[in-house]
Amino acid sequence: MKKILMTAVKTSISEVMETMFFLPVEFGQESILAQSGIDKDNFACQLTFTGDASGRLIIMAPKSLVAEMAENFMGEAKGLLTDEHLSGTLTEMLNMVCGNALSKTDSKVPFELGIPEMINASEVSEKEMVTIVETTESKMAIALKVD
Amino acid sequence: MSYSILIVDDSLPMRSVIKRTLKAAGYGSAELLEAANGQEALDLMKNSWVDIVITDYNMPVMNGLDFIKAIKSNDLSKDIPVIVISTEGNESKIKEFMACGAAGYITKPFAAEAIRDLMVNILGEVNYEEDFDDSSEDLDF
Repeated sequence: MKKILMTAVKTSISEVMETMFFLPVEFGQESILAQSGIDKDNFACQLTFTGDASGRLIIMAPKSLVAEMAENFMGEAKGLLTDEHLSGTLTEMLNMVCGNALSKTDSKVPFELGIPEMINASEVSEKEMVTIVETTESKMAIALKVD
Repeated sequence: MSYSILIVDDSLPMRSVIKRTLKAAGYGSAELLEAANGQEALDLMKNSWVDIVITDYNMPVMNGLDFIKAIKSNDLSKDIPVIVISTEGNESKIKEFMACGAAGYITKPFAAEAIRDLMVNILGEVNYEEDFDDSSEDLDF
């Protein structure tokens, strides 16, 4: 189930990043967080889901990338964006990715999403398996945990 | 005619995107009201006239489905059309919303045209000379 979900998540990330944030992405190798080159001072958020499978999806991204996403998404200059805009952009991106991905799976029980929440990136284990998502000038990491 | 449009979403950026989309779609002179969840929207509707509601589903305090049920169970608000914009794209969820009285459903990520087409379908063609906001930016999505 995790493999099916991860495939759907990758497809959804591509769709959401290109449609709503105008940023094409490519996917890197899967590795543990400690070896991924992703800093612990990144913005991070998580979203839980229940259904045929339950778990959570976590995204970690540097502030500069989140700012670029927010600028593209909202059409506002970076200088006018507050932390609420940035965290709201990342949580909305995660919400769209997770909802879109789960809709692509042929589930018997309809999935229900929780409310996306910002977390401290240091809460994510160094041993967590993550997939790198690369944009032209930056990169972020996603982790899918299925219970 | 200038409309009063209520946007209900717990995401501040998403409310901004919907506002920009509406302005670019010709609703520049509309009064755009905002609420962060269904309960906040119901409270706002007690004191403000609303022609149409655009709501998210997945929100804290009161989600979009309970919000629509509350609107449709009140004689004063039951005829107000409600558009749902949600990440939940599975067919059973969409049917549930439509059965509760939603006038339309848009799945995120969405194209700006989807909102414009649905608004025109529900409210009728926009009078661009009267309502078009030429200060608004073009939207690419």
